[in-house]
This record gives sequence, C-alpha cells and structure tokens, in this order.
Amino acid sequence: MNILDIRGLTKKFGDFVAVDNMSLTIREGEIFGFLGANGAGKSTTINMISSLLRPTSGEIRILEKDIAKQSRFAKTNLGIVPQDLAIYEDMTAYENVSFFAGLYGLRGDKLKERAEEALEFVGLSDKAKSFPKNFSGGMKRRLNIACAIAHKPKLIIMDEPTVGIDPQSRNYILTSVRKLNESGCTIIYTSHYMEEVEEICSRIAIVDHGKIIAEGTKEQLKSTITDVKDIRIELKSVQGTEGELLKPVPGVRTVLQEENVIRVHSDAAVDNLNRILKQLMDAGKEIRSVEEQEPNLETVFLTLTGRNLRD
Amino acid sequence: MWRDIWFLATRTLLMTFRKRSTLILYFGLPIAGIVATFLLYGSVGTTELRVGVVNEDSGQRIAEDTVGFVKNLDHVSIVHVSRNELKEQLAANKLDSGLIIDSGFSESVLSGSPDHIAIESVKGAQVTGYMKSMLRGYIDNVAAMGKIAGGDGTTFQQIYDQYRSSAFKLTSESVNDTSLAKQMSYQSIGFLLLFMLNSAASLAELMLKHRENRTYYRILSSPINAKTYVLANIAVNAVVMLAQIVIALFFMKVVFHMDPGISVFEMFALLAIFAVVSISLSLVIIAFSKSSGMAGALQNLIIVPTCLLSGCFFPLSIMPETLRRVSDFLPQSWVLQSIEKLQEGATFGSIGFHLSILLAFAVVFFLIATYKFGRNNDTRNFV
Repeated sequence: MNILDIRGLTKKFGDFVAVDNMSLTIREGEIFGFLGANGAGKSTTINMISSLLRPTSGEIRILEKDIAKQSRFAKTNLGIVPQDLAIYEDMTAYENVSFFAGLYGLRGDKLKERAEEALEFVGLSDKAKSFPKNFSGGMKRRLNIACAIAHKPKLIIMDEPTVGIDPQSRNYILTSVRKLNESGCTIIYTSHYMEEVEEICSRIAIVDHGKIIAEGTKEQLKSTITDVKDIRIELKSVQGTEGELLKPVPGVRTVLQEENVIRVHSDAAVDNLNRILKQLMDAGKEIRSVEEQEPNLETVFLTLTGRNLRD
Repeated sequence: MWRDIWFLATRTLLMTFRKRSTLILYFGLPIAGIVATFLLYGSVGTTELRVGVVNEDSGQRIAEDTVGFVKNLDHVSIVHVSRNELKEQLAANKLDSGLIIDSGFSESVLSGSPDHIAIESVKGAQVTGYMKSMLRGYIDNVAAMGKIAGGDGTTFQQIYDQYRSSAFKLTSESVNDTSLAKQMSYQSIGFLLLFMLNSAASLAELMLKHRENRTYYRILSSPINAKTYVLANIAVNAVVMLAQIVIALFFMKVVFHMDPGISVFEMFALLAIFAVVSISLSLVIIAFSKSSGMAGALQNLIIVPTCLLSGCFFPLSIMPETLRRVSDFLPQSWVLQSIEKLQEGATFGSIGFHLSILLAFAVVFFLIATYKFGRNNDTRNFV
C-alpha cells in the first residue's frame, strides 16, 4: 500500500517556483531519504505534506486519502520532527509530549500511557519531570522526536533530526529511526549527512530546483553514474587552489576539498590519473596517497546536481 | 472544534499561570491599581477632629456649656487635659487642636466682651477653622445676651435659660458626600482598563512567541487548524479578562468598601464589553507585528498614551478641550463616560449609544486584524 502519493505537486511564491510538478510515491514500511541542497524544495514539499502550506497545484494523498479533502485524517496519521526544535522550554519533558499528543485527540490514561511510552522510546523517562532548558542539544532533539511519535503516526517526517548533536545522540537517534521503522512506521528522512542517509534509507530521492531528478535504492542511484570515477588524493596540505589547477585536465568534472583530501570526479572513459598527479606535483604539492573509489551517494548527488549537499 | 479549543485553552491557561510572576502581572497589578487609588484618595475626606480641652474656668456654667457645645459638634471628640499635657500631645500629634479656657472667661462673656479663650494647633487654620467659626457663633450669641442683661446676673440667667430651652427645635441631617467614593471607583476602573489592555496584548503575544519557538508550526501540523488556534487564544484572553474584572470588583466592593455608585452587575457588563474591545485591539497589535518584541513595543506605544488621553490616570476635566476631543476616538474614554453617566443616575439602557460605540470599536478592530492576517505573508497561517 502507498502511504504517500504526490502527483504533479507545484508550489509557487510569486514568480519563483519552489516545487515544480513533483510526483513521488512512498510505500508503507520504507525509510525514504529525501536529499537536496538548501533551497532545492525539500522543506516546501514537507510543509505541503504537513498541511502548513497549500500547494499551488497538484495532489498529496496520505494512505490514499487526499489531504486537501481529509486533512484531519491525514494529519492524525502524520508525525513531524521539524528541523528546528519545536518544544516548550517552560514545560517539563512529560508535559511537552503530553501536550502535543493531546492535540491528536488523546486524553486521560491513554494520553498518559502514550506520553510515557514515547519518552521511554527516546530514553528520556528519567527526565520526564525536567525542563528542556536544562537539557543538552541531543536530549532536546530526542524530546523533539518524542513529541512527534506519541500519537503513533503511520508516517513520520524527520527533517534533519541529527543536526548539531554529539555522535552518541546521533547514534541513538539513528537506532530509534530503525526501531520505529521495525515497529511499522514509514519514515521520510532528510539530512545533510550523506552517510546517515546511506546507512538507514531503503530508497532515496534527490531533489534539485523543485524537481526529483533521481529516485531509487542506493544501488540503483549509484548505477546511474557508471561514467564517473571518484579519485581521492591525500595531500600534505591543501591550499584551495587545487580545483583551478586541475580544471584544464581533460575529463575532470569537479574537484572537492575535505581537509587535506581532494576528491576529483572525472569521466570514467578518460584515462587521466597520471595527468592529474603530474599537475599537482608540478605545482609543488606533496602527495601522500591516491585511491580510486567506487561512486557513493555523494558522488551521485554531485554528479546529478553539480552541487555539494551542504551547499 | 470546541473540544480542541477547550484542550488548547486549558493547557495554555495552566502553562501561563504556573508562574507566580504571571499571577502578579495579570491579577496583582489591577489590585495594586485599586490600592494606589485608595491610598491616593483615602487621605482626602471626613476625619474626626481630636480636641484637647484645658478648662481653668471650671465651675462656671458658661465655661462648662462652651465645652459641651464643642463636644456636641459633628466630627469632633474632646479630651480634658492640663496645659502641659496639651502641649505634649499636640507635639506628638495625638491631638489635632487644643481649646484653652482661662479663668475669667465666663465673666468676660457675661460682660459682653468675650476673652480668656484660645485655640491652639500645630496644623494651622486648616484644622482650627471649623471649630473656631462654630465656637465664635456660639460665644457671640452668649455675649450678646450678656450685653442685653447689662451685667445683671439674674437677667442674664433668665435670657440664657430661655435660649437653652428654645421653643423651636432645629434638627439636622448629615448628607453623605459620595463624590469622593465615585471618583475613587472611576480612577480604579481607569487603572483596570490599562491593565486589561496590557493583559490582552500580552496573552495575544503568546501566538507570536509560539511562532518564534516553532511550536506554532508543530500545532498546525496536528489536526488543529489556525482558526481553532486563534479562537483558543481568544478564549484564554476572555477568561483572564473576566477573572480580572471579577477580582477587581471584589476588591473594590468587599475589601476596600468603595461604592462606585453603580450596581456591580452593570459595572461587570460594561467592563465585559470593554474586554471584547481589548481582545480585538490585541489581535490588531499581533497582526501588525512581525515578532513578540515588535508587539511589545507597539503595545507600549498604543496602550499607555491612549489611556492617558482617555482619562484613565486623571479626570478628563483637567485636560484642554483639544485633548478632550481626541478622547472621543478612544474606547477607554467611552467606558469612563459610561461610568460617569451611570454614576449620575442614568440607567444601563440609556447608555446604549455608548455601548454601541464600544462594540463598534471591537468590530472594526476584529475586521482590521482579520484583513491583516489574511494579507500578511508572515501571519497568513493564522486565518
């Protein structure tokens, strides 16, 4: 069964087209990665799915019901974990979860039970009576998740739930996402951390300029870029001029810099490794290691959008 | 929808009033306004004059009767003291003034030239004036009898006895001066209007705060829609306003025994209509504000000056004509005018025009807010 069906979705702000005739289907039980650089149209799409924005045209169906016509049904089956924390600092963790779960019509013992369950799920049971203002960033993120799951939605949208937190909390959240999925929830997951998406998502869509430009499993996406090779060169030091230096080399498409490593995406058909290395050595660069890697999601994203995910 | 409004409103009330500072803000300040008015006007009005009497002409009938006359004056209480005690008690503010009757006073009155009597006070003519003028009238009468008797004790006694048991009787009734109580109530309501407007704006500001901490968007992604959310805020606002009115009227009537000169129910109804105006004005402030900080600034710019011009802090009568005309465009002024009319004896029905103007203010403010919510990109989700 399709849990989410988007057909011909468009959103315009004046002349600017934020989402352009997007169509997408997500099946029950998936963890669906939604990738796009800033301004690609992800948040606008999520806001339309959450009924915070009205589409200019197109249709969104949740569990086969049109959200424009059966908004209450759609919203009851939807949980949103927003990118920015949306919790009350002057309410305890329990009160926060209980308040947001109450908005879905839960009352009395059921509300109490669900709120406690959600807090336990994110590992905050012992902090139920504490105020979020005394929480660490990771704990607040977990509370942000608890507020979205207490009413037991079938579809959960997580908009960068791990942004700005410590590795331990990130691991906790990723494990929670998997557990939620195992318990029957479908998850739409957006992140700027490509490795997270690669690790947990069963299917991924890449959005650019308001359109889905690629969609499929990790393997399917990687197989779409057989014409690109990814060369990883570790230098003693990187000065930022390497991109300009390698541009004239035939076949080189893009050059990325990550600390002391440069990553060169080049046409697979062009044998240019020696030219690349020579160019660097002639410029006095000290090479420490060279490795040709299999294309990963980042390569796919860069190749398809021409941009880094964090741009 | 009503179930959702109830849930949101009760939770918002619990959340808002869990802090003691909020209780003080919403309910303590209106009471403080009443206390301030009470202290301001409480010192003005009728008080009892404490008079120390030194009678060194004791045993003489005229002297005794003079002391008796002073004793029977309204709002005067006397205490017999010695000269030294009088000085000490005047200095210690235990007495307001002293009446000293020297030996020979009765003799001098009998001869038609009153002497040997003095009034002392450290507070001046403000305190002694009343007793002096009353006493002068009495002593002059007795002295006139002495003159007519030509110093003959028997004749004087006859005339004096006739005077004492006069054939006609004058009975006097004290008329209560209610103007002060009415003015106190009027001013207390003035302060209450200010606090009601501020409370309404602060409560409506919660909507902006929820937008700033993003919880507003989380609420809207739940089955609650924007209209329900705004209605819940209005409901919270209405409950707080009505509670403010009830508490303020309770303190005025029961605790401070102020008599506003209007029935409590009429006062409540009038203030309840003003509560609607306050809520609608608060929505206008929110509609034109992009942040809670901006709303706070607008609140200060609008509420205090309009209260000042409406006569909430001091009577309109002391303001120049031009400013008084400006007050016709301010809702607070119409509430205060209504109170004045009711205090003058008008019926609630006869101030229908004033009530209509107040309701018109509310309708216009609601329309402006709705229009602005609909047009403003930042707040379009409200309606």
